[in-house]
Amino acid sequence: MTQTDKLDLSVQIGSLTLPNPVGVASGTFGYGEEYAPLLDVNTLGALYTKAVTLEPRAGNPAPRLADTPAGMLNSIGLANPGMEAFITDKLPFLRTLGCPVIVNVAGSTEDDYALVVERLGSEDGLGGYEINISCPNVAHGGMAFGTDPALVERLVKRLVSIRDRAPGAASRRPVIVKLSPNVTDIGLIARAAEAGGADALSCINTLVGMVIDTKRKRPVLARGTGGLSGPAVLPVGVAVVYKVSRAVAIPVIGLGGISCADDALQYLLAGAVAVQVGTAIFSRPETPLEVLGGIRDFMEREGVSEVRCIRELL
Amino acid sequence: MKRFDARITALRSVATGYRELRYEWPADLPPPSPGRFFTVRAGGRYDPVLRRPFAFSAWSPGGAGEPAEASFIFQVRGRGTRYLAELDTGDTIDVLGPLGTGFGKPRRGSRPVLVAGGIGLGPMLYLANALSIDARDGLCEAPVLALGFRTASLIPDVAMPEGTVICTDDGSAGYRGTVTGWLEGYDPGAPPYLYACGPSAMMAAVGAMAAARRAPYEAALEQWMACGVGACAGCAVRLRTGQYIKACVDGPVYDGNLVDWGAML
Ligand SMILES: Cc1cc2nc3c(=O)[nH]c(=O)nc-3n(C[C@H](O)[C@H](O)[C@H](O)COP(=O)(O)OP(=O)(O)OC[C@H]3O[C@@H](n4cnc5c(N)ncnc54)[C@H](O)[C@@H]3O)c2cc1C
Ligand SMILES: Cc1cc2nc3c(=O)[nH]c(=O)nc-3n(C[C@H](O)[C@H](O)[C@H](O)COP(=O)(O)O)c2cc1C
Ligand code: FES
Repeated sequence: MTQTDKLDLSVQIGSLTLPNPVGVASGTFGYGEEYAPLLDVNTLGALYTKAVTLEPRAGNPAPRLADTPAGMLNSIGLANPGMEAFITDKLPFLRTLGCPVIVNVAGSTEDDYALVVERLGSEDGLGGYEINISCPNVAHGGMAFGTDPALVERLVKRLVSIRDRAPGAASRRPVIVKLSPNVTDIGLIARAAEAGGADALSCINTLVGMVIDTKRKRPVLARGTGGLSGPAVLPVGVAVVYKVSRAVAIPVIGLGGISCADDALQYLLAGAVAVQVGTAIFSRPETPLEVLGGIRDFMEREGVSEVRCIRELL
Repeated sequence: MKRFDARITALRSVATGYRELRYEWPADLPPPSPGRFFTVRAGGRYDPVLRRPFAFSAWSPGGAGEPAEASFIFQVRGRGTRYLAELDTGDTIDVLGPLGTGFGKPRRGSRPVLVAGGIGLGPMLYLANALSIDARDGLCEAPVLALGFRTASLIPDVAMPEGTVICTDDGSAGYRGTVTGWLEGYDPGAPPYLYACGPSAMMAAVGAMAAARRAPYEAALEQWMACGVGACAGCAVRLRTGQYIKACVDGPVYDGNLVDWGAML
C-alpha cells in the first residue's frame, strides 16, 4: 500500500514541472481571478488562461452559448482584452499564484502569434505557452492553421525559435500546441507540431456543432455554429489522446469532457501525462480538486506511486 | 459568493406554469439585494451542464431559531425548470450566489416606475417592496409597479405592493393592453426613474420611452450564462457603442439607455 505523502504527482512538460496533473482549461477559467473565491487556485496543477491575441477582441455577436445533451456550445470568438491589457491588468494577479500559469495564445496570422510570444518572452511569472491553432469560432486563423500540417510545422518552428531567443528562463518555457479534433487525420497534425519542435500537445479543443431553435426556426447561436464541449465529448477526446500519444514521442495533455476522476483516469490510461478540466467547472467549480483527489485514491488503490506510470497500466 | 446545498423550505404554484420556491439562506452570506441572481444545478451529475440563472424575488432574515430564506419565482419552460418544479420541500438544490450587480437607488424626489412582464415578475416584486420602504423614509416618491400578463389566469397569487397596476392583453383584468401601452398614458407626477425586467420587446419599448423622456432606465438583462462569475464571456450583451458587457458581472442590471436593444431581439 502506498502512502499518500509518498505519491509523486508531478508531471514534466519540457523544462516545466507541474505540481500535479490536473489543470483548468483555457476559456473556462478566465484569468484566474474570477473563480478565486470558489476554489483554491494555488492547488491546481496548472492554469491555462483564456486566449490572448495581439489586439483586443470584442468577440462574436450574442447569443454565444447554447445548451446541448450533456454538453454545451460556445461561440465566444476569442473575446479578450489583447496582449498589452493582459500584461498590465491580468498578469499581476496571475504572478501571485502558486500554480504554473500557461498562456493560451491565438491569432489570425503567423505574425500575430509570433508577436505575442515574443512580447510575453520579456515578462516573468509565466510557465509556458499553449498555442491555440484549433479555435472553431473565428473566421480567419484559429482552426484554419490547425488543419494544414505544413502550416502547423512552419508556425511552431517560428514560435519555438522566438522562445529560444527570449532572455533568461523564458527561453526554456514549453511551447504546447493545442489540436483541433475537427480534422481528417489528427496524427498527421500532431507529427507536424512535433517536427516543428513543440514540447507537448493538448488534445482536444471543441468540436463544431449547431443547435436549431425549432420554434423560431433559426440557429440558437448568432453565428450559427459553435464549439461543443462537456461530458458529451469525453469519448472523442479519449480516442484522440490514445491515437496521438502513440503517434508522437512528446507528452500529450488530455482534455474534453472531464467531470470526475474516472474521466481523467481514462485520459491518463489512454496515454496523457496530464489533464485539464473545462466545462465541468461551470457546473461544479470544485471539480478540478475532486478530480485530483480521485487520482490520488486510484494510485493508492492500484499501488502506483508515480502519476506518470498510470499509462503503463493499460 | 459561494456554492452551497440549500434545503427547500417551500415550493408552490403561484399561477399557471409559474412556481415560487423558497430555500434556506446560509448564515454567513449577506442578504442579496434586488436585481442580483444565483444559478442552480437543474438535473443530474452530467446533464444539463449549464446551471440555470434566477433572480431573487424576496429574502427574509429568519430569527428565533428559523433560518434566513431566499425566494424566487420561475416559469416552467424547459428541462431545467421542469426538474425544479418536481422537487419537494426538504429536498436540496445546489446554489451558486449571490451573483451580479443589482438595482441602484432612484434619484431623490423621483418616482420609481417598475415595469415587469413574464419572468421579470420576481426581481421587480423584490425591488418594489424595498423601494416602498425607501419611500416611507422619504428617499423617493412611492414606487409604482406595473405588471403585464397575457390573461387573468396568469396573474400570480403573491402579495403585491399597494397601487400595483395590472395589465392584460385580453382585458380580462385591469388595464386592457400591454404594460408599455399603459406606461405611455401614465403621468408619474414627478420625474420618473424607470426599472424594467421582462421580454426583450418590452425592454426595448421601455428603452425607447426612456430615451424620449430623457429618463434614467435600469434594465435587468437576460442572457444565456455558463460560469456566472465573469470567466467565460458567454453572456455578452451589446451596447450601442458596439462594445460588449458581461451580463453576469457588469449586469444583470445595467443602464438601459446604453444597451443596443436591436441586437437583443
Ligand atoms: C440573470 C437572470 C435572471 C433570471 N431570472 C429568472 C427568474 O427570476 N424567473 C424565471 O422564470 N426565469 C429567470 N431567468 C430565465 C431562466 O434562467 C430560464 O428560463 C431557464 O434557464 C430556463 O431553463 P430550462 O432548462 O427550463 O429551459 P430550456 O429548455 O433550457 O429553455 C427553454 C427556453 O428558455 C430559453 N432560455 C433558457 N435559459 C435562458 C437564459 N438564461 N436566458 C434566456 N433565455 C433562456 C431558451 O431560449 C428556450 O427557448 C433568468 C435568467 C437570467 C440570465
Ligand atoms: C466557453 C469556452 C471558451 C473557450 N475558450 C478557449 C480559448 O480561448 N482557447 C482555447 O484553446 N480553448 C478554448 N476553449 C476550449 C476548452 O479549453 C477545451 O478544449 C474544450 O472545452 C474541451 O474541454 P471540456 O469539455 O472539459 O470543456 C473554450 C471552451 C469553452 C467552453
Ligand atoms: S456567464 Fe461567464 S462571463 Fe458571464
